[in-house]
Amino acid sequence: MSIAPCISLQSVLCAADGRALLEVGQLTVRHGERIAVVGHNGAGKSTLLRLLSGFMPMTHGQVEVLGRQLGQPLPAAQLRALRRELGQVLQGLHLVARLSALDNVLIGSLGRVTGWRSWTRCFPAPEIARAEQALHAVGLLPRAGMRADRLSGGERQKVAIARLLMQGPRLILADEPTAALDPAAAAEVCLLLRKAAATATLITVVHNPSLLPLLADRVIGLRQGRIAFDLPIAAVDDEKLVNLYRPDTGEESQHWQIAPGDISETLS
Amino acid sequence: MLASAPGRPAPSRRFSGRLGFLGLTLIYLLLIAACLGSLAREDELSLGRNPIANLMKTAGEFARPSFLDAWFGNPHLEYRSDDGTVLRTENRQMVERDYLAGLGRATWTTIRIATLGSLLGALLALPLAVLTARNLNAPRAMAWLAKGILDVARSIHTLVFGLVLVGIVGLGPTAGILAIGLHSMGTYGKLFAEAIESLDMAAIDAVRSVGAGPGPVFFNAVWPSVLPQFVSSHLYVWEFNIRDSTVLGLIGAGGLGLLITEATALFQWGRLATVLIVVIALVVSFDALSRRIRTALA
Repeated sequence: MSIAPCISLQSVLCAADGRALLEVGQLTVRHGERIAVVGHNGAGKSTLLRLLSGFMPMTHGQVEVLGRQLGQPLPAAQLRALRRELGQVLQGLHLVARLSALDNVLIGSLGRVTGWRSWTRCFPAPEIARAEQALHAVGLLPRAGMRADRLSGGERQKVAIARLLMQGPRLILADEPTAALDPAAAAEVCLLLRKAAATATLITVVHNPSLLPLLADRVIGLRQGRIAFDLPIAAVDDEKLVNLYRPDTGEESQHWQIAPGDISETLS
Repeated sequence: MLASAPGRPAPSRRFSGRLGFLGLTLIYLLLIAACLGSLAREDELSLGRNPIANLMKTAGEFARPSFLDAWFGNPHLEYRSDDGTVLRTENRQMVERDYLAGLGRATWTTIRIATLGSLLGALLALPLAVLTARNLNAPRAMAWLAKGILDVARSIHTLVFGLVLVGIVGLGPTAGILAIGLHSMGTYGKLFAEAIESLDMAAIDAVRSVGAGPGPVFFNAVWPSVLPQFVSSHLYVWEFNIRDSTVLGLIGAGGLGLLITEATALFQWGRLATVLIVVIALVVSFDALSRRIRTALA
């Protein structure tokens, strides 16, 4: 492992339509760290992940991910090279619906498998064995032949994690991997994600505070596009989280504050 | 004075809502009344002199399809002149067996015309569909041109294409194949473009996110998403074309249509019944087969 940090941001500003989405003075992530990013909707969590995966250009500043400068839009070849080392678990259960679970896991090997084999989906036997191992690790080997769109939401997210295992990335970015999952499935997916990231750096966007200890030893709170706190998990308490999600009363925006009484009135 | 009428609704909402539907229904009923009324006034609604008797006679002949004669026909049917001399004897069984053999050949011709015509249509339509699919953002001028070609192809009936083509390439299956190909190109183009437009972007993102290049992205995400719909449209239009090509014989393209023309021209309803039984069997069995394949692919 190199001495250079896994991720470093220096006075980064991301803006769109004249509105600052993310403003970070300095942020460094060492290799092997487990980080959770929390914050209200629109706080810049997804922007941060998109910035790190090279999907989002920044207005100014310096970003270095896995030793690559993401200053200007990368040429396609370099962007692909970065994505090979970067595992992504996206919000919308990104699988190829018409392929089987095993074939979806094998997609993780497309960074290594090239040429006619990648075109005809004739993967070499060792890769298939690895894919079966990955499915076994997430407990879905019995479902290997089932098509992705026949799997439940939790199973699909597990297939995505098996794809990560197959890919073997050095950095994993997960954007709300437990959205739309029931609590038991969410906890299971978090544990598997953590296992998949045993030798990698893991950055997860997550809303449910009860999942934080499963996923992270360091928590970054984002508010209005700025880092509100950056603390080890032990130092994060309920008060800090409540403050983070507290609606604004200041000049920047106006939220409706709904007291519990209002809701019951509306419903009755 | 009546109360002033409410503001005229915007054009796009003119037909919406309950009143709009009522209005549309009224327009429809008026159209029906106009069609029926004008035909009645021109005295064009008659059913002929004795429809019941004609119906019974035709139905009776249909009820005895000619193929039965191949086994139960009279082997020594004698044709006599008015004074009773035997002009010739005919073995009905042999005649109908020959007819059945010809029917088999005609069926095979129809299947060949439909199959090759469908394939031709699909191949011609594929590039045009890629150009017209809105999510692929082809150059505007090319997209309009391709859409124009597809619209023209779809609106000209196979029979019209066939009549023109017979004049160009002569009588025979070639004219039928080209006619079917040109007309179904329009249908294929529309179905293919729709398949491409409903592409699953999440699948593409999934393959892209592991750093795969454009080739693997196409073959691992686009192709598996689009292929089943392509195959299903192909089977659907193919089946349609089998039905369509039975009519093409009317214009001399050969096949079952030719036998249908012959039988109707000679008022041989028994033979027509035999041909129609083959057509129905062909369409029904192809439909069952293609439905099974389509469910397997869905």
